[in-house]
Amino acid sequence: MQQREEKQLEASVESLVTRVAHLKGSLQSFIYKLENEYERLTWPSVLDNFALLSGQLNTINKLLRNEKTPSYRSQVIIPLLLSPDRDEELAKLTEQRVPVFSHEIVPDHLRTKPDPEVEEQEKHLSAEAARIGPEVAQKQIQTLNKLCSNLLEKLNNPRDDRDSETSALRQNKPSFNPADTNALVAAVGFGKGLSKCRPPGPVAPGHPGQPMMSAGPTLHQVTVAGASGHQTGMGGQVTQQQPGQPGKMPSNIKTNIKSASASMHPYNR
Amino acid sequence: MMEYLLQGSVLDQSLESLLHRLRGLCDNMEPESFADHELVYLLKGQQGNPFLLRARRSLLHPPAPWHLRYLGQPEVGDKSRLALVRNCVDVSASHSLPEVLNEMGFRMDHEFVAKGQMFRKGAMKVVVSKLSRVLVPGNTENTEPLSLSYLVELSVLAPAGQDTVSEDMRSFAEQLKPLVHLEKIDPKRLM
Repeated sequence: MQQREEKQLEASVESLVTRVAHLKGSLQSFIYKLENEYERLTWPSVLDNFALLSGQLNTINKLLRNEKTPSYRSQVIIPLLLSPDRDEELAKLTEQRVPVFSHEIVPDHLRTKPDPEVEEQEKHLSAEAARIGPEVAQKQIQTLNKLCSNLLEKLNNPRDDRDSETSALRQNKPSFNPADTNALVAAVGFGKGLSKCRPPGPVAPGHPGQPMMSAGPTLHQVTVAGASGHQTGMGGQVTQQQPGQPGKMPSNIKTNIKSASASMHPYNR
Repeated sequence: MMEYLLQGSVLDQSLESLLHRLRGLCDNMEPESFADHELVYLLKGQQGNPFLLRARRSLLHPPAPWHLRYLGQPEVGDKSRLALVRNCVDVSASHSLPEVLNEMGFRMDHEFVAKGQMFRKGAMKVVVSKLSRVLVPGNTENTEPLSLSYLVELSVLAPAGQDTVSEDMRSFAEQLKPLVHLEKIDPKRLM
């Protein structure tokens, strides 16, 4: 009977040690990555690391909760021999972290009571709990239970209840507008909504210094004047060239060549 | 070279969150800001479909060379392809590009100014830009935004026939939801 328990204890301690070693390894590699590969790190890989750590912590928890694991609380560790000499075996086992099994390290490593500050806080809390009396405590417990069950209900309920609220919320703060997407793609694709190039009709060379007003009607006037000038005074426009304006000078020459297709030109739009 | 393209847009108020997310997802370098003036030149032939060329110059680095780009029609392959694929030819050009194009018979159809930032992730390029229309032709100081959104484009330049590219683009686009929906938008549908 005792042998079985001993065997169980040994086995569970071994598996615990291996799991903790895995956790330590992944923590080490994560820290290394954060310190050395900072430039190349992306958020998804950081999330992956966190997920790995949480998974490993979960397995450790499951292991501890397993029925086959004996209760560690009932085990006692007593140091049998303390010496100030360096112990090579121990140093190897602990990867050089504990080279000496002496009076200094024993209180820290074999501690079972919580830290003094934590002990103080626990004392305070238990004094408080004793002070408020059983009925008040019961009421507080009930409110906490109610809040938790409400929250669980909200989280577990089918999507239809939740969706109406969240869709209302989301409609208040959409982050993109499909109509805008279409408008922008059309603008980039074939210039929908962008003002067409104005021809250098008689209006433009006559007013080189004046800023062209951006109001709608003025632009239309320019278009009409330009288009009509295009089709009629072709020969006279050759002298009104403005070398400083890109795109305007050469079209005068072109009108002579393309006179037949001027009526098909989109400037009339 | 083919250009694989996915497009979407994001409203001005959600721009910051999108930029934060892109900074985290993309290669860790300072995103490149740009301000470009693009002119689109058309050559109307007798046949019908006009030939389009796009000339782009940087407003932030005026001495930099112009960039000329030809984009073909989107490939009508199988509908299940996840990104818009079209033929793409890019060249650099000197500052006499507009004159040369005009002499060749091209006429400037429209122009706009695009300002924004560019992010890279491997071969993928994400461009977030605000398009503005030029009110006075040739005057890029006086511009007016086209809409209250920024255009978001995810593109990859790759040789034809590599369908893994669109898979990677799609998985990257998934990571930007629900802030912005990048999808294959056929420009012919919007005509």
